Amino acid sequence: MPKHDTPLLDELEKGPWPSFVTDLKRQAEKKPECFDILGQLELSFKDKITHWKHGGIVGVFGYGGGIVGRYSDVPERFPGVAHFHTVRLNQPSSKFYSSAKLRDICNLWEKYGSGMTNMHGSTGDLVLLGTTTPNLEPLFYELTHDLNQDLGGSGSNLRTPECCLGRARCEWGCYDTQDLCHTLTMHYQDEIHRPAFPYKFKFKFSGCPNDCVAAIARSDFAVIGTWRDDIRIDQAAVKGYITGEFAPNAGAHSGKDWGKFDIKKEVLDLCPTECMWMEGDTLKIDNSECTRCMHCINVMPRALRPGKQQGATICVGAKAPILDGAQFATMTIPFIEVKKNEDGEFAEVVEVIEKIWDWWMEVGKNRERVGETIMRVGLPTFLKVMEVTPAPQHVKEPRSNPYVFWQADEVEGGWDRDVKEFRKRNAQ
Amino acid sequence: MALSKDELKAAILEKAMTAPKPQLYVKDFYACDPDAKPRDVKNAANDLVKEGKMDFWSSGSTTMYAAKGRAKDEEHR
Repeated sequence: MPKHDTPLLDELEKGPWPSFVTDLKRQAEKKPECFDILGQLELSFKDKITHWKHGGIVGVFGYGGGIVGRYSDVPERFPGVAHFHTVRLNQPSSKFYSSAKLRDICNLWEKYGSGMTNMHGSTGDLVLLGTTTPNLEPLFYELTHDLNQDLGGSGSNLRTPECCLGRARCEWGCYDTQDLCHTLTMHYQDEIHRPAFPYKFKFKFSGCPNDCVAAIARSDFAVIGTWRDDIRIDQAAVKGYITGEFAPNAGAHSGKDWGKFDIKKEVLDLCPTECMWMEGDTLKIDNSECTRCMHCINVMPRALRPGKQQGATICVGAKAPILDGAQFATMTIPFIEVKKNEDGEFAEVVEVIEKIWDWWMEVGKNRERVGETIMRVGLPTFLKVMEVTPAPQHVKEPRSNPYVFWQADEVEGGWDRDVKEFRKRNAQ
Repeated sequence: MALSKDELKAAILEKAMTAPKPQLYVKDFYACDPDAKPRDVKNAANDLVKEGKMDFWSSGSTTMYAAKGRAKDEEHR
């Protein structure tokens, strides 16, 4: 395959940053089809339109996900990318790989694909970019039999579950995110590999409210670690921060001189619910007002820790699409203990998931994310389905929550009450 | 009363072969047996794929089902 002139792409090699254009040129020495990626992308820059088509019946036998068919709409000009399918691999929890595993995967991809990868896709998958239809089955066979690695999710499936580093690396993990992620991945293999739903469905697991995998913004089912007792305070360490013995933010912003640490300015005044104050040398917290923003804990990690009664909050219905509006998840289950039963299953979490699925599979429209279904039918209906008693935290703010619809039996007199009579009383 | 699994599969295949659109969402098959649970319909459709009578068609974000031979790849569009 010939090289193509790519003056527009060459611009992307200038400047101090790493460039995928340089990577592609280097890879093209081994895999000439990469010249055609560059050529087609240059053409797209000129034409201001993509030249990729996607979709089709490509896949591996028995799987309805994991492979995304991709074709060039100018195959006669760029035959090396006439077929250029994407393969998604289910990443290990928290993306902990051995270097040997990564080498094996890359070697396999050099054998059957373009060698180009995307580490990682937004669902967390290891994304292998560019192979042909005849190579899919042999690739899949070696992947599963020799590397013990499976495909991830795509299409109207459960997408590859993703979690933060959790307790493996982080002292704030309020539950074992890796265990929950791995256990549910194994539990729901059928849903990951075979389309079951009106549209995509994503699980993401964060160990604490810092939410490092952005579960609340990106996943249909976000499990976010929290606690329900009081933040643990080490008053001696609080004094240590005030006197300058400890660097705030664990030294994370130490590249610049920010002046002496000011607990009032940097912690107390920034608390969103103003639930912290000093009494002399003692830090006080009104924990009933704490919204788990994590700011104080992030700034003074030696002094403050999450409480001891740990579990998770479940939020449902986020989406972050390219088109149409992004939507945050709605807090649905304020607190759930994330514990395995004697069968090694997270039965309480599974029960919540399946209540959502059973309802959404029935009520959700085609290509409607569960968050859109909730918006359409109203939060009270969804809470009834979930058998959750509405709580003030379900309301975004008084009188402006678009979800709230009263039912006749929730209003005194129902819809048949005498409105004139009501107005008379109301006017008094 | 819900159809037996074989009857449900036959109804799904019939719909997949005769529907005006070659590709159908899994929800489109719910009408084949209004008494069946959505999961049973999904499982029956998946069995037909395993048996080679239907194909998955996926855009990457959405997956549909098609009777063997009815759906086309983007390559051929």
